[in-house]
Amino acid sequence: MKLLVIEDESSLLNSIKDYFEQSDFLCEGVLTYKEAISRIEDFSYDCIILDINLPDGNGLKLLQYLRQCKKDDGVIIISARDSLDDKIIGLNHGADDYLVKPFHLSELNARLKALLRRKYTQGVTFLEAGSLKLNLASREATCNSHPIALTKNEFDLLLYLLNNKNKVVSKQAIAEHIYGDQSDNMPSFDFVYSQIKNLKRKLKEKGGDELIQSIYGLGYKLSI
Amino acid sequence: MSKNLLYKNTLFLLRWLPLVLVLFCILFYFLMRMQAHHMQEKQLLLKQQNIWNAFTKKMGAIETTIPGEYIINEGVSTDEKYLDEPRDTVIYFESLKKAIPFEALTGQFQWNGKVYNVTTFVSSTEINHLIIKVFITEAIILLLLLLTIVFLNRKSSRRLWQPFFATINKMDEYDVTKNTSLDIPKETGTIEFNRLNNELNKMIARVNNAYYNQKQFVENASHEIQTPLSIIRSKLELLINQPDLTKKSASLLGDITEANDRLSQMNKTLLLLAKIENNQFPDVENISLSQLLQDGIVSFQQHYEEKFPSLTLDIDENVSINANKVLIEILLSNLIKNAIEHNVPGGFISVKLKGRNLYVENTGAFLEGNPEELFERFKKSSYQSKTTGLGLALVKQVTLLYHYELSYQHDKGIHEVKIKFK
Repeated sequence: MKLLVIEDESSLLNSIKDYFEQSDFLCEGVLTYKEAISRIEDFSYDCIILDINLPDGNGLKLLQYLRQCKKDDGVIIISARDSLDDKIIGLNHGADDYLVKPFHLSELNARLKALLRRKYTQGVTFLEAGSLKLNLASREATCNSHPIALTKNEFDLLLYLLNNKNKVVSKQAIAEHIYGDQSDNMPSFDFVYSQIKNLKRKLKEKGGDELIQSIYGLGYKLSI
Repeated sequence: MSKNLLYKNTLFLLRWLPLVLVLFCILFYFLMRMQAHHMQEKQLLLKQQNIWNAFTKKMGAIETTIPGEYIINEGVSTDEKYLDEPRDTVIYFESLKKAIPFEALTGQFQWNGKVYNVTTFVSSTEINHLIIKVFITEAIILLLLLLTIVFLNRKSSRRLWQPFFATINKMDEYDVTKNTSLDIPKETGTIEFNRLNNELNKMIARVNNAYYNQKQFVENASHEIQTPLSIIRSKLELLINQPDLTKKSASLLGDITEANDRLSQMNKTLLLLAKIENNQFPDVENISLSQLLQDGIVSFQQHYEEKFPSLTLDIDENVSINANKVLIEILLSNLIKNAIEHNVPGGFISVKLKGRNLYVENTGAFLEGNPEELFERFKKSSYQSKTTGLGLALVKQVTLLYHYELSYQHDKGIHEVKIKFK
């Protein structure tokens, strides 16, 4: 999988590149609008991660250009602007997703996976990893072919961990992923802990012991 | 103690004008008496002349004494000091059985080698009566004058100060958060008020400008802070994914992550506050307050599970308001969150929605300090270090925007926030 990250802040760009390279993506990064245009013209990417506030041009123009050229690269906008209008404008310009800064890399990863799934596995709604199998359409999960009864939040949590499998996902990232903006109102992460506890118990019942590990209280990892 | 201008002006006039008028009355009285005496003197002299002329003409063959008119004494030398000096005297009238005051003047004349003293009299009663009558008339006129002056003064004051009061009323309506200019006329017809209005307009322009810059600063700063926060967050995520993570470094990372998240949270909230202040939530729709409130409570119950305090709900059905949905959600969730976060173990929360009045009551620690300050930014009790201190500020900002009435009560560990929606 080939990614292009367009972000004028080199430090953030490096973080994103590092993170996705660890997940075996082929990741290229550019800092400016000009560079981005030349890369887009010459190559095709599975997904472009685009900061719309670039010093030498507006990322939205780049997006327009991309769509005019009939290129179907997936695009995820990353932006510091968090108003609904900004999001709508971004999506109307042909972006596939919109992520507000500061974001968690695990969240970006999950969104990227979802985008790629939509793009390449049309109609296929199963996600399999090790003993786990998730049906994304019916939102049912099985472990070692045993169905697991999960609540909505638990399913989302499992899917999120699966999308970030073999990576540590911080509890803050989990909270924000599951509760969205509402997690702003939740200063304590006890609810993440209890959700994880329930999920671990249910997985254990179906023979999925030790799938989820806690990493020193920082976050959790689903190891497959 | 402060009184209004009109009252003070009238009080001043009423205090000093009567005094001045009384002094003038007294002066007038003495002047009038002087004039009256002068006139009597002239009369006496004239009378003396006439009588002496008649006496010499008739060769002394006239009545030498008419009581109250004149007395002619031959050769009797009166005391020298009475000569040609008017003096007060009293004549007793047998017929009236009464002594009547007179003014008398004695002059010395010589005729046929003899000396005569002629004393003429003029009654003082009439002139005294006249003086009193004139004085009373004068006093009445001055009293009327006093009332007229006070009346006119009040009227003219009212009229004169009218632009001033108009300006004050406009100032009263002025709200810096709305960034409107002060709508006061440049030309009032009075130079001083023109100056006042002019200076006020200038001042308001400066205030608006400063306020605008301040708001812009907060918004810009918040935007700028997002980027370094993003970088820190991404680096932290890379760090916790390092395979050689130790327990010691994990604990350090945990602390950094927490602090960074709080910073990011604060920044987000400040930005939100700035946006509400800048009125960047213009979309207004009809929203069901009852529904929003119930949904909010349910989601909080899910999050807090067993830690949710015991709850009493009394929510009227079908209460709806026109407002921005996002803002009302922010308002409600921050209110409820506040009631949960600042609760005590075994405490309760009571949420009541009666018509357009929302009451959120909760148990909590005793309040120290000024309750007004609770709704200010970054005002929080020290023991709650993990909150941003901006939740209630958000509540206040939303109520300010929509002119909802926000009030707070505290009674022995029970806190109640009341919001009156419009």
